[in-house]
Amino acid sequence: MEVQNIIDRLSLQVRDLQENFNSLVNSKSINVLGKQFCRILSGTLLTTNVNLLKKDKKGGKWKEIYFSNPDCVSCTKHLSENNFLDMKFLNEGKIKIAVTVPLVDESFFGILIGKKLDKQPYSEFDKIALQMFILLLDHTYQSFLNQKREKELNFQLNHRILQLNSLIDTGIEISKLHKSKTLLDLTLERATALTNASKGRLKIFKGDKLISKIIFPKTASNKNLDEKQSKLKTDVTFDDFRYELTLFDKESRKGIIDFDLTDEVLLNAFARQVYTAMENEFLHKEALEKESIQKELSVAGAIQKKLLPESMPVISGYDIAGINIPSKEVGGDYYQTMELNDGRIALIIGDVAGKGVPASLLVSTLDACLAAYLDVQIPLSEMAVKINSIIYKASPLDKFITFFIAILEPKTGELDIINAGHNPIYLLRKKNKIEKIDAGGVAFGMFDMGLPFEGQKMKIKKGERLLLYTDGIPEAMNEKEDEYSDERLEAFFINKRPAKAETFIKNLVIDVRKHTGDTPQSDDITALYLIRK
Amino acid sequence: MVTEFSLKSEIKNDCLLMQPIGYINNNGGETIFKEFLNHSKKGFKKVVIDLSKSNVINSIGISFLIEIIDKLNDEKGKLFFANTDPAIEKTFSIMGIYQFAQKASTVDEALNKMK
Repeated sequence: MEVQNIIDRLSLQVRDLQENFNSLVNSKSINVLGKQFCRILSGTLLTTNVNLLKKDKKGGKWKEIYFSNPDCVSCTKHLSENNFLDMKFLNEGKIKIAVTVPLVDESFFGILIGKKLDKQPYSEFDKIALQMFILLLDHTYQSFLNQKREKELNFQLNHRILQLNSLIDTGIEISKLHKSKTLLDLTLERATALTNASKGRLKIFKGDKLISKIIFPKTASNKNLDEKQSKLKTDVTFDDFRYELTLFDKESRKGIIDFDLTDEVLLNAFARQVYTAMENEFLHKEALEKESIQKELSVAGAIQKKLLPESMPVISGYDIAGINIPSKEVGGDYYQTMELNDGRIALIIGDVAGKGVPASLLVSTLDACLAAYLDVQIPLSEMAVKINSIIYKASPLDKFITFFIAILEPKTGELDIINAGHNPIYLLRKKNKIEKIDAGGVAFGMFDMGLPFEGQKMKIKKGERLLLYTDGIPEAMNEKEDEYSDERLEAFFINKRPAKAETFIKNLVIDVRKHTGDTPQSDDITALYLIRK
Repeated sequence: MVTEFSLKSEIKNDCLLMQPIGYINNNGGETIFKEFLNHSKKGFKKVVIDLSKSNVINSIGISFLIEIIDKLNDEKGKLFFANTDPAIEKTFSIMGIYQFAQKASTVDEALNKMK
């Protein structure tokens, strides 16, 4: 009977243990665990006096977890610091059982139990039950510690994820920012927070000179910052500026600690992001400027194109063709044909020293002058003096225009010519003889001393051909830096005499391209070709 | 001495309303936690933290907020975060804060939901 009774009671205890383990293991804190445990023990041992204490390490103080009887404070003398379960059964005093339980983390539980409600001594069964529950407490505590560690690990893992996420987010955000100052503020803020630094500082140097400093938090004192032990620094250099990023005082719940490798990696990653963002901002600005210039050049090119003839005039008894291929969006070459009031045709070619927008502006001025003066039909030499003066005043010192004009009287073939500093113009006579029409004055815009321009008069007869060109043709270079040359141009002019002027021009361009190959065009190519049929 | 962090607090509709100002680091987190404890002892279980003036928090600051959450959970209390910066909201999501606390766009919304 008695044996059966003991077995029944033990079965009940085991069932109790299982149920109680589940409730204890879900305790959210040591205090809750302690309180629960003491209550369970009270019920099991039929006593109201169960007290639980904890000591964090050997030599430490016993701290109250759960006291049902505050007088037990003085009873800690019965507890020990042995590395094994120490259970004392006491005869005198209010405490009847004193148990020291060494725990897995080198701390201790102390259990002080008073007398039973029925004032009877604790039986052997009670002692066995107590041991079982102490085992339960030990396992529960281990489980509690594991849960705590798991929580801490989760926290650390989440923090790592947060750091990585923030690194990506910061990279995206700072790449959107257009103001460098805000970019640097954001980087400093994020780097400080993600490494748990107490303060961050960014210094901007140009050469050795400190030109700016940002501190985070903004209200933080910057005194004695460099004397701090816990410090982490990196720097990045971009476009003559050096950005020095320093973090101070890495925080932990236990106080200031040293920055670790992860912090270093993170800080360097932020620094790289800043560098990339600034580089992107710089390239973006450059691209915008380039785009703006490109647009302006496009417009200038379009305007300039309008200065050139859209089509060649139809001159009875003659065939004429022309071409202009600028080397850049906007060129410095010019050619034009103009029908004068008296039926004569002006054939004009010009070349501004230089290329691009400045050259094209001078071309516009020249075109306007010609339109004005040719209408008035003053002698060419007089016109040249006037245009020279205008161009001289309109152009910078290094700019001038070589200029050739031949005014053709279609019925007679008479040519009224001015060559102002331009390369010799070719007139192909019969029997393959080239007559070169040399300059009769300096290029427009070189001097304005009223020097005369010497005009010439010639006649183009039937079957003869006239070639006006700019030096972009004979000076066109191949990859070996060999020029197309005047000789080759002359030879082409003599040998190639197609029926149509347009064919000549087309073939001339092909021949020049054949010579230059893949070498980029270095100067404008312009030509005007006249056949008297 | 220039302070880096400050905290405003008041009782509104039976709720403890706290507004931290500045970087919520160890110092900031501890200040918030102590203020909470002071009021928790008096029985306040509803807490609203207005983050309109704090847009940077480190993990130490977060650990203090988690302690507040733990204590409130033990006492079946409630915690709302209001006016959170998108960066902080993301931080809280990653750190799992919103599993145990709630968010509101404004303080008034938080106080209404507390009722």
